[in-house]
Amino acid sequence: MTSRRFFAVFSIAFAAAYAVLYVIAIEYNLALFTYHPASGEFHWLVVPAADQPAMYWYGWMATSALGALAFAALAASLPAAWTARIWPGWSWAVPLAVMVVFGYILRGYFIR
Amino acid sequence: MIVVLLIAHALLAVALLGAITHQTIGVWTPAKQPADSFVARMRSVSPSTYAGAIVVLYIATATLGAIIYPSYRLNVRIVLEQMQLAKANGSFELKEHFVALGLGMLPAYWYFWRQPPADYARTRAVLTALLAFIVWWGFIVGHVLNNIRGFEA
Repeated sequence: MTSRRFFAVFSIAFAAAYAVLYVIAIEYNLALFTYHPASGEFHWLVVPAADQPAMYWYGWMATSALGALAFAALAASLPAAWTARIWPGWSWAVPLAVMVVFGYILRGYFIR
Repeated sequence: MIVVLLIAHALLAVALLGAITHQTIGVWTPAKQPADSFVARMRSVSPSTYAGAIVVLYIATATLGAIIYPSYRLNVRIVLEQMQLAKANGSFELKEHFVALGLGMLPAYWYFWRQPPADYARTRAVLTALLAFIVWWGFIVGHVLNNIRGFEA
């Protein structure tokens, strides 16, 4: 497998998997770590704070990036015959669909 | 210090906005004749030359935004909630998620812009337009929220 084919499959799979994992991470609050901005403390996994806001955004991105990295590396390592016809449009179609999903999830901010 | 970082974030965003807007116009409406007007010159830029700079600017702008985000969470979002500015709050929520999704698209964006012009033209164009939308959304929302809250002394 050439490095060009490897990175083509990797980048398409990463973009699609990252978008899906990101929305799952948010819906089920699967943050790899939590940041408490008032005290400046980091904690592994989801750690709510009683007396200050807790920030999960960094942790959601880390969860999604790690998961997508593993998925994309696996996809790129598959035999070329299995990935030869992968549609490059998955790299934008899945993130676009997830953007629409976020519009739906957050609709309460705009229609109340 | 936060004000300095916020201004740097805004300046990087301006550079990113200019680069991705030029690239989007260049890739969707390329000039077919020699450029003889302002608009024609925008359309006649070479879109591929922007890709590397856009990746670097996107990462730098998002990183600075992530650094100043805790200050927003503590000093701005709470005020927006107290003022019951739900649309402003929701717009920022969308901004943070769109920017995160854009980060995940960068490897594909970078890869497809490094391919020969005849290959993957549609994929390149759509990825660029999607990133342009994210950058414009982020810029406008950030600007409006800054106008609502303003700087603290």
